[in-house]
Amino acid sequence: MFYFLIFFTKIVIFFSRLFKFGAGSTWPGHLALFFDSKFIKKILQKNNHLKIFVITGTNGKTTTVALLKHFLEKNNVSCFSNQEGANLLNGITSSLIKNSNFFGKINKEVAIFETDEFNFPLILKELTPLAIIILNLFRDQLDRYGEVNTIFSRWFEALKNISSNTLVFLNGDDPQLYYLGKKISGQVFYFGLDKEEMPLKKLPHDMDFNYCPVCFKLLHYKKIAYSHLGKFFCLKCGFKSKNIFTSKESFSDFPLKGIYNRYNLTAVFLFLKKIFGFSIDKLKLLLNDFLPAFGRQEKITYNNRYFYLLLSKNPAGFNQSIEASISFIGNKKNVFWLILNNKIPDGHDVSWIWDVNFKKIFLVTKEIFVSGDRAFDMAVRLKYEETLLKKKIIPIIDLRQALKEILKVTKEKDEILVFPNYSAMLELRFILVGRKFL
Amino acid sequence: MKLYLGWFYPELMSTYGDRGNIIALSYWAKILGINLQVIVISLKDPKEIILKMDILFMGGAQDKQQEIVNNDLKNHKGDYLKKAIEAGVSGLFVCGAYQFLGQYYKTADGIKIPGLSIFNLYTENPGNRFPRLIGDIGVKTKIAFDKIIVGFENHGGRTYLSDKSLAFGEVVFGFGNNGRDKTEGIFYKNTIGTYLHGPILPKNPFLARFLLNKAIQKKYKKEIRMKKFDENWEKKAREKVIKENLK
Repeated sequence: MFYFLIFFTKIVIFFSRLFKFGAGSTWPGHLALFFDSKFIKKILQKNNHLKIFVITGTNGKTTTVALLKHFLEKNNVSCFSNQEGANLLNGITSSLIKNSNFFGKINKEVAIFETDEFNFPLILKELTPLAIIILNLFRDQLDRYGEVNTIFSRWFEALKNISSNTLVFLNGDDPQLYYLGKKISGQVFYFGLDKEEMPLKKLPHDMDFNYCPVCFKLLHYKKIAYSHLGKFFCLKCGFKSKNIFTSKESFSDFPLKGIYNRYNLTAVFLFLKKIFGFSIDKLKLLLNDFLPAFGRQEKITYNNRYFYLLLSKNPAGFNQSIEASISFIGNKKNVFWLILNNKIPDGHDVSWIWDVNFKKIFLVTKEIFVSGDRAFDMAVRLKYEETLLKKKIIPIIDLRQALKEILKVTKEKDEILVFPNYSAMLELRFILVGRKFL
Repeated sequence: MKLYLGWFYPELMSTYGDRGNIIALSYWAKILGINLQVIVISLKDPKEIILKMDILFMGGAQDKQQEIVNNDLKNHKGDYLKKAIEAGVSGLFVCGAYQFLGQYYKTADGIKIPGLSIFNLYTENPGNRFPRLIGDIGVKTKIAFDKIIVGFENHGGRTYLSDKSLAFGEVVFGFGNNGRDKTEGIFYKNTIGTYLHGPILPKNPFLARFLLNKAIQKKYKKEIRMKKFDENWEKKAREKVIKENLK
């Protein structure tokens, strides 16, 4: 049965690519699991050599996986990952099938699996990773995933009895994740930023944890990087972080802007140092030809204009995209394009846009185009932010129509900063670069 | 004309985008020529400040945050909040904040947490085997029965009013207080308790103006002149939700 399933699903992949039904990134896995719920365990038994890494968190997963792959490949470590967006069990299974031969043997050393915060516990039931990275936890799609405390409890349940050999890399600037590290059985390492690099003194509105996870009194912060990530301490019980790995040297070669990407990079550095013994100084030399992942500060040339896609799907992420975009363009006035959908992968509720701070956009924009299923929700949001600047806001639901207008108001070599949420990003990429499988 | 807007516990009760209501009230105050000052009322602040406010607002949050706030309300600020609401202050209390003001909240584990008993209602979470009530919601409200207001609800607790005629509105689509009796929220004196996120005021701006007007009436004994306002985008945002749900 096992060999038949591999054979059968590989044929599915072949035909789905041949006839362009899709990339075969979920269906083959879905079929394999449907006929044999133990399929993952079986294929992994045949591949004991495979080092499995699992990456989760609210924001930064895809970029972190891309960074890991970049560095591993440059160091001649063969690896593969599940396709972006296919981060449920079926996506992981599909990637295992794709990378195996007809006998179920995988000829690679490392498998990197990205999984969303909700599915992470389910995935840990199916496989035992050598190492895990948890990047952060912010509110995101509350109607789909639930509140952050609910997610946190599920993570805690999944991790508390994990093998003591498992290496767990946690964001030590997140009070809740730091606390998690003290409560689980794996070998825990923390990454974070240096206090000097943190720009804020006051907790911003988009934060989710401001109370002590031990005694529930309000936490204090010496400095804050963004959201609730920072140097926290509790006056009542003394809870605070220590032994955080930071990497403060300059990153001028790093093409990704924004402090949130510094976290992703620091996590990757610590990870590769601990697991492969790579030298961080050498890794830094490999940074300049790193290409951003799909829609994550990705630059797309269209009609001789440059469109920068900054995926923005929750308050913390959106605020960080805005910060990053400003460090892209400086004080130049650009056209902005905000695209808000509420399809299944986006979550149906768009209330969260009211937790984003849009003021800074108005300082650096000529016009703000607003599109997507919920374009008018976004238009109202912007209008209420800057009463007097309503004329700068141009709502056009349809993406192609908006694109036409944007081409009219821009000239060659202009930069357009696009902030789409998930399904909007896919839709726009389809328009700008044509059919391209994820 | 000057009004004070008291915003309760923004650092704890802001999980669901309810800050939009503060932004909407500020926007409409500006349009109507009202000088609106937003005052944060937090854990460390003295309770006396509540009585200086003309409008009160509190949003929804997660259980843990609500527990912290509930303690502060019960031990410090609750009596003053009750006084203010009974005296007819304009108020908007969303989701978790709405539940606090009832008699009690029974958690999913069956623990009864007493509320402030300002509203004659109670809330029970039937347990984790029952789904949360999540989705778009449309309501015809007491304030303008000819209009459907829209929002988004996401709550585990089911709320029951002792007197259904106190409901803020009647559910057109969605769940409302409990998913059974078609009631949504409560309207008591000049205070609205509701499950509507979305947030409620930006997409239904006449409600924002209603709250401001009530506050002006109470403080200055006069009415705001309502004219035709530019609210085409708000209307389109609202109509989109109605269209999707009344197919």
